[in-house]
This record gives sequence, structure tokens and C-alpha cells, in this order.
Amino acid sequence: MKKILSLLFVALLAITACKNTTDAPVATVQATTNAIKHAKGLQLYKYKGFSLVKVTQPWPNAKESYTYVMLQKGATLPDSLKQYTVVNVPIKSAVVTSTTHIPSLEILGVENTLVGFPGTQYISSEKTRALIDSGKVKEAGANESLNTEIIIDLNPDAVVAFGINSTNKTLNSLEQAGLKVLYNGDWTEQTPLGKAEWIKFFGALYGMDDKADEIFSKIEKDYHDAQKLAQNIKEKPTVMGGAMLNDQWLLPEGNSWAALFLKDAGANYLWADSKGTGSLSLSFETVLEKAQNADYWIGPSQYTSLKQMMEANPHYAEFKAFKNKKVYSFSTKTGKTGGLIYYELAPNRPDLVLKDLVYIFHPELLPGYKLQFFEQLQ
Amino acid sequence: MPNQRRNSILFTCLGIALVMLFLANISLGAVKIPLTDVVNALTGNHASKPAWDYIILSYRLPKAIVAVLAGMALSVGGLLMQTLFRNPLAGPDVLGLSSGASLGVAFVILGAGLLPGALGIFLMSGYGVVLASVAGSFAVLLLVLAVAQRLRDTMGILITGIMFGSFTGAIVSVLTYFSTAEQLQKYTFWALGSLGNLPQQSIIILTIVTIIGLVLAISCIKPLDALLLGERYAASMGINLKRTRFIIIIAASLLTGCVTAFAGPIAFVGLVVPHLARLLLKAGSHRILFWGTLFIGGILMLFCDMCTQLPGTAAVLPINGITSIVGAPVVISLLLKKRNRTY
Repeated sequence: MKKILSLLFVALLAITACKNTTDAPVATVQATTNAIKHAKGLQLYKYKGFSLVKVTQPWPNAKESYTYVMLQKGATLPDSLKQYTVVNVPIKSAVVTSTTHIPSLEILGVENTLVGFPGTQYISSEKTRALIDSGKVKEAGANESLNTEIIIDLNPDAVVAFGINSTNKTLNSLEQAGLKVLYNGDWTEQTPLGKAEWIKFFGALYGMDDKADEIFSKIEKDYHDAQKLAQNIKEKPTVMGGAMLNDQWLLPEGNSWAALFLKDAGANYLWADSKGTGSLSLSFETVLEKAQNADYWIGPSQYTSLKQMMEANPHYAEFKAFKNKKVYSFSTKTGKTGGLIYYELAPNRPDLVLKDLVYIFHPELLPGYKLQFFEQLQ
Repeated sequence: MPNQRRNSILFTCLGIALVMLFLANISLGAVKIPLTDVVNALTGNHASKPAWDYIILSYRLPKAIVAVLAGMALSVGGLLMQTLFRNPLAGPDVLGLSSGASLGVAFVILGAGLLPGALGIFLMSGYGVVLASVAGSFAVLLLVLAVAQRLRDTMGILITGIMFGSFTGAIVSVLTYFSTAEQLQKYTFWALGSLGNLPQQSIIILTIVTIIGLVLAISCIKPLDALLLGERYAASMGINLKRTRFIIIIAASLLTGCVTAFAGPIAFVGLVVPHLARLLLKAGSHRILFWGTLFIGGILMLFCDMCTQLPGTAAVLPINGITSIVGAPVVISLLLKKRNRTY
């Protein structure tokens, strides 16, 4: 016993001693400009032989930020950067944790490097589903609770995770096991282009910065083109959204991702003035009074038909948009295993979402366009 | 005699309070509607805005009716259970019916992936939650009745009910562990109860079942009084214990199961109201207690429903939060005032 105690004491001393060693002399890194324009929680600095990825908003109101060094083959790492998580790129295998990461991998053409995912049933994309069915992508836990053992066993070059707050026990133990865990904060972005720009995060991981830039620039251009189309419209239809959950009507706040799309699509969202980026919860009375005569109803929660809405809540029939069947939802389009395609793909492809909405509100602007996400409920 | 006079005065006051609160409940809400418009809408004239007509007649009025029904049904259910088990902590959900309903609903909302395709889609429809809730309560009821048939001891039934509660609770926990944030939100909201948004058919069913339950309860008033003095005493008075127990369980199950199916597990009211009735009416006899419980149940639920609407904001609070927040302090303060009450 005594022996063990003294050993422990020595070990403790050793650990604290290690902590107190000062960093090696700093080799300065020359300044360069941030390659990120729209995303608020991501910074990307490119240097010769490596790039720095800073995730400044891993979760809402985060006090911590994370810096990752993407080190290319054969390049030497400046001493000043040794304190950060260093990832040797391009990575050959990855575990990602959110369905929103899947389209980025596919657009970059690296979905074959995916070795594990928690909750594979939520993935809708056919390409990746085929990989899951053939056993190339392993089930790595259930829905936001990663299975530590399975992931350590898979031993991927990088685990792209997300944290809800600073306590992430599983991720910490993965780091202790020597895995490179990177926080992805795409879900905290509040602008359509901000979310989509996170493809550059994956571009850096796979050493495909140029390809990611090119892809994003195209999405950005298409988005702005659609926005310009709708900007000159005089007649802006009024729009309501959301649906009731028990006694509360949940709908997007005025500065949220969903509300910005409506604004850019040339619509007058009735709650555009509300502050905040989350969701409003209002009483039925309030919504009825304000939106009874709204022209369109976009995104009525999980409902996939007008009949279903009526069964759930007979009050829905009081709205003009419902009576005129101007109710559009993205809940009808699901993958083979029931996941909603919108939740997976829309953050990556805001250009398609915007075109959908422009076509719904002003079909004359995009003749012959085919809706990608939304569908008129029958 | 003076006691009887006191009671008739009390019941008159309770009746007036019920009517006043019912009207107040309809007049108040997130949208400010002038009283004249409320009266116009209720008397068949039109309010000054069509939306207001709809809000008062089709939204607030049904909600107030459901509040009264739920309050009455749960409170009488609670009274029946407290007397049957001679336990002041028993509530309408003590047999595990709410837990059964919760399990049924949890399977629909959280475990939809576990259900075969067509059934899953059917149960995800508007009526799915109600049906699952009824099925869950009913399954537990059958189990309770089977236990009641075999056990002579009433306490055994109580313990069995609590066991069902723990058992279903554990399964629900496992289901929640494997659910998405969206599913959890839906389930949590269901568990917080809701009095609004019921289609007319549902309100009619709720009314009919509640009346059946109340009539069954009234038929048991005499044996209930005898039960207060103990099972042996009741038996010596010539009361058929097994049959009485059976009717009481059926009545309480109908009252609780039906409210839970349509409005979610709002149980706390049923535990509190019988105590309020005893303290207020200073009576032990069920002839008086039953009616007192009935009135106070309706009154308390209307009041709680009014509290769910934060004044001056559009936000709504969940009914289940309010019932406990309002109910618990009231009971504690009344108990402290009358320390020497015996049950």
C-alpha cells in the first residue's frame, strides 16, 4: 500500500512538473488573412505547408475556442503551434457525428473515408447509405451518445464532433485515447451562407482547400443570383410558419436561419421583426390574430398532409393559407430510413433552399424550376 | 344543523365561484378582447373581429370546458383512491394508469422506429397519441384488476400500482435515451399536459366517459363512507368488498385514463383537491366530500389554466407546471393552519 502511495505521489509530482515547463521559444508565424467570409464561428488561415482552423463558436455563447493545425505531408510545424491539436492532412479516415457533415464529404468526393457514424439510420443520402449497407460505415453509438470503445477501435484519423456545451465526457476520453477530436460548429451559424461555408472546414481536413473554395463560391453565386431575382419584386406575400406543439405555437424568430431565407426570397415573414435566432413560442390566439390571412404557410413542423394537420389540431383550418392549400413543407421528403433530407442537405445547399422559396412565392421568376426540398401539402 | 347551513352556504359560494371563473377564463387570454366583445360572441352576436369570434367560441370555450371536466374527473378519481387505499398520498394515478398511458405514448413518440411501418404511420397521426394513451392505461387497468381479483389485501394493489409506475418509467427512460432532441421535446411537452386544441369529438367522448365515471363514483358513496372505518368494519355492515373495490377501480380508471388520453398526465390536481375539500368543508362523509371535490376540482383547474397565460406576453406555460406550483403551497398552508386534522 505504502509503495503504491509513494508511487502515486511521484507520479503526481511528475505531472505537475511537466505542466510547469515553459513553452519552447516561439517561432513567429506570418500573418495572413482569414479565408472565411460568412461563417461567424470559423476562421481559416492558409500558410505554406499548413493551415490554421479556428473554431470560435463550438456551441452557442461559447467562452472557449479551438485551434486546429492542418499539417501537410513533409511540412515542418512552427514551435509556436505545437500546443494545438495537429492533424496530418489529408486524412484517410474519419468519424463524423452530424448528418449535416455528410453532404460536405460527398461534394468533396471523400465519402469513402467515412468509417463510423453515431445513428446511421438518420443518414438519408443514397451514396452514403450504400456505404452503410455494405458495412463500410460502422454504427458508432446511438444518436449523440458516441460509443467510446467502437470509435477507439475504428481508430479514425479525425473525429468531427459537436458539443452542446463545454462538458463532453465522451469526447474527452476519445482525446485521451489519442484520437484527434475536432469540434464542428456549423449548427451554431445563423445565416444560410454561414452554415454552407463550413465546407471549407472539411476542405482543410482533406487537403482540398481549393476545391472547397470553388464549390462554395458557386453556391454563394447561385444564392446571390436567386436573391437578386426576388429583390426587385414589389408584391411581397405574407408568410407564417411553424405549428403547434401542445399549447404553444413554435415558429422561427426574426433573425433565425429560416427567417433569413424568407426575407431573401422576397416574402414578408410576419414575425420578421422579432429579435433572436431561436424559435418563438406563442399562444394560438396570438398567431391566429396576426396570421389568419397570411398568404403562405411555410414549414408546418412534421406534418406531411393537410388531413394530418386537421387531425392533430382542427384550428389549423381557420387560416387562409390552409384553406387555399398554400402550405409548403419539407417534411415529405425523407431518405430510405426516414431521415429528413432537408435537415441533412439544406445547411450545405442554401442556394437550393432559396430557389425553392423564390419559386413558391414568385413562380414566374424561375419558370420550369422543380422544387428540391419543399412540397405543397395536399 | 348549523353545520348543514354552513355547507349550503359553502356550496352556493363554490357554485358561484365556478361560474365566475369559467367566464373569467374565457375572457382572458393572450389576445386582449374587450368584455363587450366576449359577451357578444357568447350570446350569438358577433365580436368586432372575426378572429375574435373564433378565438372565444372555438378555442377558449372548449379549453374551459376541458379544464372543468379534467379538474372534476381527476379530483374525484383522487378522492376514490385516497379512500380505497386509506392513504392521503394516493392520487388518481396511483394505480399506474398514467404511467401506462405514458408508456403507450412514449412508444408512439419516441419509439416510432420500433413499430412496424403501417402501424407506426397510423400511430403518428393525430389520434395516435390518444389511442396509445388509452391502450397503455387499459393494459395497466387489466393488470390491476387481475391483481385485485387475486389479492385480498388492498395495500397489495397499491404496491402493485407503484411497481407498474416504476417499471413503465424505466422503459420510458430507456426509450428517451435513444431518441432525438425533437422526439424528446414532443414527449416532454406531452408529459406537461395540454387542455387546448381538442377536436369536438374528443370533447364529447371526454364528457361522456367523465359522466359515466362520476355516476359510478356516486353509486359507491355509501360503501366509501364505510371503508373509511376500515375494510373489516365495512364487511360487517354487509358491504360486498370485492365488488365495491372493483367498481371504485373502474370508476377511477375511467376518470383518470380518459383525461390522460386527451390532456396528458395532469395528475397533481387529483391528489390535492380532496384535501382541499376536507379542509374547507370540515367533513369526512363522502356525501358532502364528493360534491365538494367535484366543484373545487373544476375551480382549481380553471384557475390553473388562467395562470398558464403569462399576462402581457404571448408565451404560454405548461399546465402541469402550474398545477403543482399553485397546488402544493395551498395544501401545505392549509395543513399548517389545521394541524390536528386526522385522516
